[in-house]
Amino acid sequence: MRFSAALGVAMFILAGCNSGNNDQAAATADSAQTAATPAPEAAPQQPALNDAQIASIAVTANQIDVDYGKIALDKSKNPEIRKFAETMIKDHSDIIKQATALATKLNVTPETNKTTQDLLDGQTKMNETFKGLTGDAFDKAYAQNEAAYHDAVVNAVKNTLIPNTQNAELKSLIESVVPLLDHHLQMAKDLAAKFK
Amino acid sequence: MKKFFQIVAVCFSGCLILAGCNNGSNSSTVENSGPQRDTVIIKLMAFTPDTLTVNKGDTVVWINQDIVAHDVSHFPDRAWHSDTLNPQNVFVKVIDDSSSYFCSIHPTMRATVLLKK
Repeated sequence: MRFSAALGVAMFILAGCNSGNNDQAAATADSAQTAATPAPEAAPQQPALNDAQIASIAVTANQIDVDYGKIALDKSKNPEIRKFAETMIKDHSDIIKQATALATKLNVTPETNKTTQDLLDGQTKMNETFKGLTGDAFDKAYAQNEAAYHDAVVNAVKNTLIPNTQNAELKSLIESVVPLLDHHLQMAKDLAAKFK
Repeated sequence: MKKFFQIVAVCFSGCLILAGCNNGSNSSTVENSGPQRDTVIIKLMAFTPDTLTVNKGDTVVWINQDIVAHDVSHFPDRAWHSDTLNPQNVFVKVIDDSSSYFCSIHPTMRATVLLKK
């Protein structure tokens, strides 16, 4: 329950991807049933998410972690938690700036979609959880959520966002974020391990 | 104004790289002609090269080509360190001793500068 928001990230994004795959599978089955008729020229495969939707997901996912960091700075007195939160705020803000600048350059308007909304809904639930916690309980919850959130985001970026991104520059930017997310994940795991 | 400083930083780093190239060219014709200049690129959460061997008195230039800010800090005590290096910022240091260093913002990023024996 506590970490449903974080764990939900990959599920929401992968669910979006899967629904696209299911459509493709259904289309394949239909074409097999009508094999006797001349096959129409294959239409280009549509990605499960378009670049405008991916830009929206990327900005939203980064903004959510900035917001979690701000909550941590507001509630925690633990120096390690505060240092980690400051790093998350700085790094994810830098990524948002670059993603926004690239979207502007490419004339891509981030398009709110179901995944974006699901992410925001998950954030709302997590914020409610954080509200009821103080002291070590909050620190532990924040650290564990950061580990779960980054784990989910890393998987979603590698398995869904990168494969579906069409524009080369946007794909390159998202790929360049992976080492940073991997690093954040390790930092979060190390931090969470101190609160077991 | 911020843009101006970014442009200056980029130009400065370009000059440093060119200077480094020139020094490298000179060293092929005149050995031990004086302090050399080496470059470490910070990109994709790593220092490249992660081990650099230099002569005492050589200059090392770190260029942040990553998408986020980093720093360059003596490991483990930050006895010397750069300011925060935003993307495209550079840090220049004359090397007098071997030392390991890291990014204090992202502590798993580590590398070493060694003096030639």
